[in-house]
Amino acid sequence: MTAEPTPQPPIPDDEGLPRRSFLQIAGYTAFGWIAGATGLTLLESPLNKLFEPVNQKVEELIFRPQKLIPEFPKSAIEPDQLIVNSFRGNPVIDLANFRLEVTGEVEKPLSLSLDAVRQLPYKSMVIRHVCVEGWAAIVEWGGVRLSDILQMAQPKSGARYVYFDSADGYFSSWDLASATHPQTLLAYEKNGAPIPLENGAPLRLASPLKLGYKQSKWVTRILVTNDFLRAPQNQQLMRGYWEDFGYEWYAGL
Amino acid sequence: MSEKAPVQKRSPITVTAKVFHWVNVLSLFIMIASGLQIYNANPVFGGRAGLHFPMVGLLGGWLAGGRHWHFAGMWLFSLNLLWYGIYVLVTRRWRHRYVGQNDIKALQLSHNPKRRIYAWHRIAYTAIIPILLLALLTGIGMYKPAQFHWIVDFFGDWFALRVVHFFTVPAVLIFAVVHSVLALKAGGDRLISSMLFWQPK
Repeated sequence: MTAEPTPQPPIPDDEGLPRRSFLQIAGYTAFGWIAGATGLTLLESPLNKLFEPVNQKVEELIFRPQKLIPEFPKSAIEPDQLIVNSFRGNPVIDLANFRLEVTGEVEKPLSLSLDAVRQLPYKSMVIRHVCVEGWAAIVEWGGVRLSDILQMAQPKSGARYVYFDSADGYFSSWDLASATHPQTLLAYEKNGAPIPLENGAPLRLASPLKLGYKQSKWVTRILVTNDFLRAPQNQQLMRGYWEDFGYEWYAGL
Repeated sequence: MSEKAPVQKRSPITVTAKVFHWVNVLSLFIMIASGLQIYNANPVFGGRAGLHFPMVGLLGGWLAGGRHWHFAGMWLFSLNLLWYGIYVLVTRRWRHRYVGQNDIKALQLSHNPKRRIYAWHRIAYTAIIPILLLALLTGIGMYKPAQFHWIVDFFGDWFALRVVHFFTVPAVLIFAVVHSVLALKAGGDRLISSMLFWQPK
């Protein structure tokens, strides 16, 4: 069974590597690679129209509205890993007259001062903050559950989306289920201290459930809607600052 | 045993294997070219100050475009791997496609160059499977780290996960070169044309 077959006369042209055909194949491959990548790049937007709904279905399927994402011990916090990103720098916010507006499809619209927000039950969590760019940082966030605020405002039965407007003009929108998850916070503390301005003071979104660009800083207004908003002038969908450029809307983790 | 059959008597390569092979080639091209586009947004090594890949040959044009291709291509890549895996198991082809004792023995004892090439090639075929599965597993861990937090935990931390995911790229590229060289050595142009759907002549 293990005996070798008697050596046969070598078959011509099989001993060495046919160098020419190898170089030919390598050349075709390099050309095809560059041409293919360039051509297919032009299709990224229509391709996404096809696949974003498919991927979102899967993301919604694996998301459990009340299932808690495991948190980390405080010793795991990585203070130096959190990179500051914003689309036009820090806004100037008048903290003395600051109000958090909660409006739209709610039974009881709210206008809360910072003190009123701080009087709500406190929750802190150590989670992994994941950026669309590929980096991540383990951060402790402290603040109030967004679900507590939304519960006070009482979304109407048709409510599906929650918009967040920021003091710098940034905006994003979430599905109501992720917004009311117990680990979605309006945070005013980072790693045990008040949030620095560049990280979103006085109030920012923090959640283990969504990519960083969904976690708006400097939140001043929460708008509950039944449908996505559209721009009045051209009826274009308005789903968020980066989302309207083409970044994924659901962006679930 | 099939590996001892005279090489002149070529066993036909099934359409099934050809479809898997070329879909796999296409999907790996999409995943690597778009993956390196995503890499450039924040290089694994050195962060923003780290070395970036030149734009030539990258797929997507910008970060979102790279992600769009990556998260569409992942279906082509993983479903192709899945159906072929089931096919190889159900038809029991796995028993003579991958490296076995006889290949190791051949490498130690055989003076038949062809037999030695086959042995090396089966080692390559076998090694690429855990690499492809590893790319998939680490990819799921980075795509959905909250829902599949155990994947991140398994690899230690986020950085380790990114490093492993990234190194599947050179692993696949090295495999592609080794596989092409061994195939050319073993079968030359005849073997190349046997992998096509038409016979040039």
